[in-house]
Amino acid sequence: MSNLVSIEGLTVTFTGRGKPVRAVDHVSLEVEKGSVLVLLGESGSGKSVTLRSLLRLHPEKTSKVSGRIIVDGHDIMALSKTGIGDVRGRTVSMIFQEPMLALDPVYTLGQQITETILRHENVTPEQAHARALELFEKVQIPSPERRLNAYPHEMSGGMRQRAMIALALACRPKVLLADEPTTALDATVQIQILLLLRALQRELGLSIVFVTHDIGVAVEIADKIAVMYAGRIVESGSVADILHTPRHPYTQGLLASRVERAKKGDRLKTIPGSPPDLTALPPGCAFAPRCDKTTAACREQVPSLVTGAYDHAVACIHA
Amino acid sequence: MSTAPDTLATDPRDRGGPAQSLLSINGLVKHFPVKGSGFFGRGGVVRAVDGVSFDIRKGETLGVVGESGCGKSTTARLLMHLIKPDHGEIIFDGEKVGIDLPLSEYRRQVQMVFQDSYASLNPRLTIEDSITFGPRIHGMAETAARAKAHDLLARVGLDPSRFAGRYPHELSGGQRQRVNIARALALDPRLLILDEAVSALDKSVEAQVLNLLQDLKADFGLTYMFISHDLNVVRFMVDRVMVMYLGTVAELGEGEAVFASPSHPYTAALLASMPKMDPSERTIEAPLTGDPPNPINPPSGCRFHPRCKLAEPVCATIQPSLTASAPGTSQAACLALVPQSGHTLAARLSLPVPDIESMLMPEASA
Ligand SMILES: Nc1ncnc2c1ncn2[C@@H]1O[C@H](COP(=O)(O)OP(=O)(O)OP(=O)(O)O)[C@@H](O)[C@H]1O
Ligand SMILES: Nc1ncnc2c1ncn2[C@@H]1O[C@H](COP(=O)(O)OP(=O)(O)OP(=O)(O)O)[C@@H](O)[C@H]1O
Ligand code: SF4
Ligand code: SF4
Ligand SMILES: [Mg+2]
Ligand SMILES: [Mg+2]
Repeated sequence: MSNLVSIEGLTVTFTGRGKPVRAVDHVSLEVEKGSVLVLLGESGSGKSVTLRSLLRLHPEKTSKVSGRIIVDGHDIMALSKTGIGDVRGRTVSMIFQEPMLALDPVYTLGQQITETILRHENVTPEQAHARALELFEKVQIPSPERRLNAYPHEMSGGMRQRAMIALALACRPKVLLADEPTTALDATVQIQILLLLRALQRELGLSIVFVTHDIGVAVEIADKIAVMYAGRIVESGSVADILHTPRHPYTQGLLASRVERAKKGDRLKTIPGSPPDLTALPPGCAFAPRCDKTTAACREQVPSLVTGAYDHAVACIHA
Repeated sequence: MSTAPDTLATDPRDRGGPAQSLLSINGLVKHFPVKGSGFFGRGGVVRAVDGVSFDIRKGETLGVVGESGCGKSTTARLLMHLIKPDHGEIIFDGEKVGIDLPLSEYRRQVQMVFQDSYASLNPRLTIEDSITFGPRIHGMAETAARAKAHDLLARVGLDPSRFAGRYPHELSGGQRQRVNIARALALDPRLLILDEAVSALDKSVEAQVLNLLQDLKADFGLTYMFISHDLNVVRFMVDRVMVMYLGTVAELGEGEAVFASPSHPYTAALLASMPKMDPSERTIEAPLTGDPPNPINPPSGCRFHPRCKLAEPVCATIQPSLTASAPGTSQAACLALVPQSGHTLAARLSLPVPDIESMLMPEASA
């Protein structure tokens, strides 16, 4: 069992405007080669910031990052500018919820993919074009030759997502970071993209870190799930453990609020309150103001993530 | 829940009473010219919306589902008059929009919350300024507009003292979408079009926003058109549901009936694509392969025929129109449901769902 990605005590604080925002707080994670880790959590819980840290994408002037990130032997935080440039795309690449963020509206998809390959690798334009075509076939874009000449805005949501995945795979990365890539898609296309990612994971031995807020999606794709809340991991374990025997009150609340279990027009069960202001986190457990099991002890110190049987870990003193 | 709230009866803007649809759409068509090909030749247009008719009843929530590119957002944009239809009319509470009812009047009464919460907020405006923008353009005094913005922020669950002065990039996705909802409500609309409005939200926030939308609907006497790819959410939210395929309506009916026993083979496949919520029973094969065919040159006859396992030769020649196969069932555009259509299954009045599903298994040759 080799870990392709290993994150230790990652802490990210944004210092741009007003009070500092601690978006990620002592996060530790490991991703085995060829496996899929899902980061599941609520808006603002730090999933994207964690993901972006792996590519060192935070604004240098307004962010403070500490901890250690090792990806395939590269010490991400210690790399030079050129060093991190080499890692991006070649070792780690990323896909987003909104493909338009990754795709340039003024170039055709074929131009963008061949350009990316040519920038990173010593190949001829013909070879790069052939690879682009092969990638479009791999991500199952119909009439791939024709689609290479299309502009991003000429494609529907699902097709753009495939094109973005093709672009991300252009330089044969080992780790794919996926930030809500199926969130804006309808069900028939979503399941195809999830099956595609699973196939790519198998065929290419890709490790995937997949961010989502949708437990249904997580269940379809994850090997392991890590649940984030207010910048911290509050629970992690196998898909089955998280789904069937959630131990953290937040995870339990998330599962209970699922719309699948409600009848039309019912009031949904919700977790009361809202996520904490990251500039003014409560002392101790960040979930305490919303939790129905809170005791005085919960507010004293941040509960640490304690690993139990089968790698099922939970950060709650009353779990 | 499906009954119109009392506020409708007292809304001074109500004209035709509860029996008159709030919105009637007749034969809506929107084709976009394709770059690089002749503007007039056949095949030179994207048939984004191609003959769509439906009503939105007062006080109801009409759901709209269908694959990427089937024309949901274009339909919404047409309803918002953000783009002009090529054909078709929009009747709002009995008045033809743009003829009996001036566009400016109509625009106040129909508001939209978009899919992309970030792009729809001006990054250089504070949250408060974004919300007051519409009312001030329509002549509301600044202090009144600000007071209203603070009310609405509180109403959508964002503490005005914490959020009013923030900029969009300082908010998470869920917070931005609440701002968008507040902004849409600032002009007191009667119809709110929600285009993937909760898609980017995590589940606990989504649950709150769905509850919020139900509350706001009752409190303000709103009518919703609810576009979403999340079929679980649609099942939960809507009174009726419209299933679109390649710019046309495939099925339209009561939400409960459609979800319990879909009439159209496409609807059945769509429902079978929902995540299984069981790691030991993961989906192995997608119920539908490929994206929808190209709307530039849609398939002849029934547009679903190249992907449909019930397709027969007749399906490539006749375009089915919406029909109810039995009283009380949904309307579906499928020849297998139309007696004497020439489809061999047409004799049967209703298709048992398991039957459809077993026949929908994807096949490479399709
Ligand atoms: N560049 C930045 N400057 C300041 N604050 C930031 C920046 N990027 C993110 N944040 C803040 O960090 C926190 C975590 O954000 P992040 O984008 O990781 O959330 P997320 O879990 O991905 O949420 P979502 O589901 O909404 O995408 C949020 O409070 C956000 O406002
Ligand atoms: N301005 C435009 N110019 C050309 N084609 C367009 C334009 N807007 C939309 N289209 C095309 O019209 C069709 C319908 O698009 P629309 O955005 O309505 O789909 P949708 O159902 O909302 O899809 P999604 O689920 O991806 O949001 C698509 O093929 C799209 O590419
Ligand atoms: S530590 Fe206390 S407040 Fe936090 S989740 Fe556990 S019981 Fe709730
Ligand atoms: S008309 Fe034919 S192709 Fe279309 S949905 Fe019905 S059976 Fe399938
Ligand atoms: Mg994010
Ligand atoms: Mg859309």
